[in-house]
Amino acid sequence: MMTDYITFRSVTVAQRGEKILNAAGIRCAVRRTPRWMEEQGCGYCIRLAGSEVPDALALLRRNQLSWRKVYYQGEDGVLEERRV
Amino acid sequence: MIYLDSGATSFPKPPGVVRAMETALRTCANPGRGGYPAAEAASRTVYRCREQAGKLFQCRPEQVILTGSCTHGLNIAIRTLVKPGARVAVSGFEHNAVTRPLHALDARLVVCGRRLFDQEDTLSDFRRALRSGVDAAVFTHVSNAFGFILPAQEMAALCRSYGVPFIVDAAQSAGVLPVELAGWGADFIAMPGHKGLLGPQGTGLLLCAGEAQPLLYGGTGSQSLMQTMPEELPERLEPGTVNVPGAAGLLAGMQAVERLGMEAIAAREAALAKKCAAGLKEMGMEVFSGENQGGTVSFRAGCGCEEAAQMLSDRGFALRAGLHCAPLAHESAGTVDTGTVRVSFGWHSTAGELDAFLRAARSLPPAV
Repeated sequence: MMTDYITFRSVTVAQRGEKILNAAGIRCAVRRTPRWMEEQGCGYCIRLAGSEVPDALALLRRNQLSWRKVYYQGEDGVLEERRV
Repeated sequence: MIYLDSGATSFPKPPGVVRAMETALRTCANPGRGGYPAAEAASRTVYRCREQAGKLFQCRPEQVILTGSCTHGLNIAIRTLVKPGARVAVSGFEHNAVTRPLHALDARLVVCGRRLFDQEDTLSDFRRALRSGVDAAVFTHVSNAFGFILPAQEMAALCRSYGVPFIVDAAQSAGVLPVELAGWGADFIAMPGHKGLLGPQGTGLLLCAGEAQPLLYGGTGSQSLMQTMPEELPERLEPGTVNVPGAAGLLAGMQAVERLGMEAIAAREAALAKKCAAGLKEMGMEVFSGENQGGTVSFRAGCGCEEAAQMLSDRGFALRAGLHCAPLAHESAGTVDTGTVRVSFGWHSTAGELDAFLRAARSLPPAV
């Protein structure tokens, strides 16, 4: 289940992130960021399984891709920002 | 028609370019504006275009800015790096796409290297200019009027060693000669999409190493509440709807270049140019040729260059006469008063076409 979100300001950066993660076997997809997650208006995110987030962030960092925020789904189904 | 004006644009385009553009027009909506399939298809197409360019020119996809032309990219780059009144080193073979934006900024030009086909002259003059202190450098990789290949890699190394920010105009070299953003350490490299990259007219690329100032302002599909342009590339420099069919065609063009092989294209064009120069010389034309020459040859006959081009056009040959928007280059070559006739070969040019051209050129009065 792709429950977690890594948000970006640039669709191009999000797309590059998606390619890198997919190539590493991490299933994910670029989507538009839910409005409430992005205080500056429209943005883009990568959705992926929560268990993949640490590896995904390490890969993004290694490829010099900067993300905005990470959101995870708690047991109650509510999305919250994850401090990383 | 036998097309010998590849310096102006590639023609015909590879069939894949036409097909890709048609597909884009049928299947793609606005990229980066919606989450529905047609918008996502557009977004993927544009991304693949950036990715392919990144592969060809050693940069990351987000460093690839889609522009409307090489001139558009040069304007962004020059407006970013050159402050009004700045002292700027340029080669003696620049196009108006470089000199006019610099003139508009009242830049003080230090023109380096006036001798055609003499890379040492260019380099020594350029070194002298950098040593004397300049704020920036802008130089072409290949002269559009004469096909002179400038020592761009060495000029880039000099800029780096003197700490001078620089822009490369790769209008005639992208898709034909190695061009590297990271390897050269350039701040910007601008190029058209429709010449050596075999894409459609109205496309171009600007490769950006780092920060850049927008030339246009507007919607980017991101950070909409901000009234300043986003900091992130490529959106910062791409307000408005991206030319999706153009990006699709350019992607197909770059894929064709990859298939054909840049080295093979360059070798073929240069060999045709060399044979063309020899043939024209033999019939008494004044030919501008030498070492370090790409697939372009300029010459003068015993009549005006516009008349000569018209006579050849009447016989079915497409080529260009005049100053080729490069008065500085013609000034350097001593041809600014007359202009020249330019023959420029492309990916599709053949030895048979060259032979036909040389036969037709025999009808021109010799220059000497």
